[in-house]
Amino acid sequence: MRRILIIDDEDDIREVAALSLESVAGWEVITANGGAKGIEVASSEKPDAILMDVMMPGMDGPTTFREMQKLPAIAHIPVILLTAKVQGVDQRRFSGLGVTAILFKPFDPLTLADQMSEALGWK
Amino acid sequence: MADPNTDATRKLLAAVWEKNLPIVRERVEQLASIVTLVQAKVLDSGQREAGIATAHKLAGSLGMFGYTEGTAAARAIEQALDEDTIDPNHLAAELTKLRAALPL
Repeated sequence: MRRILIIDDEDDIREVAALSLESVAGWEVITANGGAKGIEVASSEKPDAILMDVMMPGMDGPTTFREMQKLPAIAHIPVILLTAKVQGVDQRRFSGLGVTAILFKPFDPLTLADQMSEALGWK
Repeated sequence: MADPNTDATRKLLAAVWEKNLPIVRERVEQLASIVTLVQAKVLDSGQREAGIATAHKLAGSLGMFGYTEGTAAARAIEQALDEDTIDPNHLAAELTKLRAALPL
């Protein structure tokens, strides 16, 4: 079974993404409510992929991703960024980080798992 | 025949929406306060940033629950607050659209 780590500071986003991936795809989901906690959970749980928000207080998504890249134990885990930013300049900035994919909020809970599978090459 | 997984997911989503409704109401009221401050020409930079953040959160979440017009209005408010000169009439109109889009 696939195991996904969701990192987002917003309770409703974490909750909807988790129920979406669990009930639609049957994946196991673990969550963290911020970047620092996310690195800790990723290091201990070694998920198959990470779905992470861009805008978070404290350590934001791009910073968290860069910190993860410094840790050999988790640097290989594919990361998908989740953003509500629609401007092209933001999208290009996030693409340049080297993440696996960028998905946009609001996502459709019924198709989120499909979008992730496609981005991760799991289809 | 309806997909039982899809039906179950929709029921769970409806439950999450109900649980989060007080937060949504609070955020919409925060934006209403921001609009009032803009109309009175007393909005400071901290309040503007707070308004942008609140609108951004609503824009990113309402559509997950099917309220795509709510997301569009919240996104318009976020962008309006980020302009060099904020148009109070446009802002108020988008707030009206936001309220109309949601079962508050």
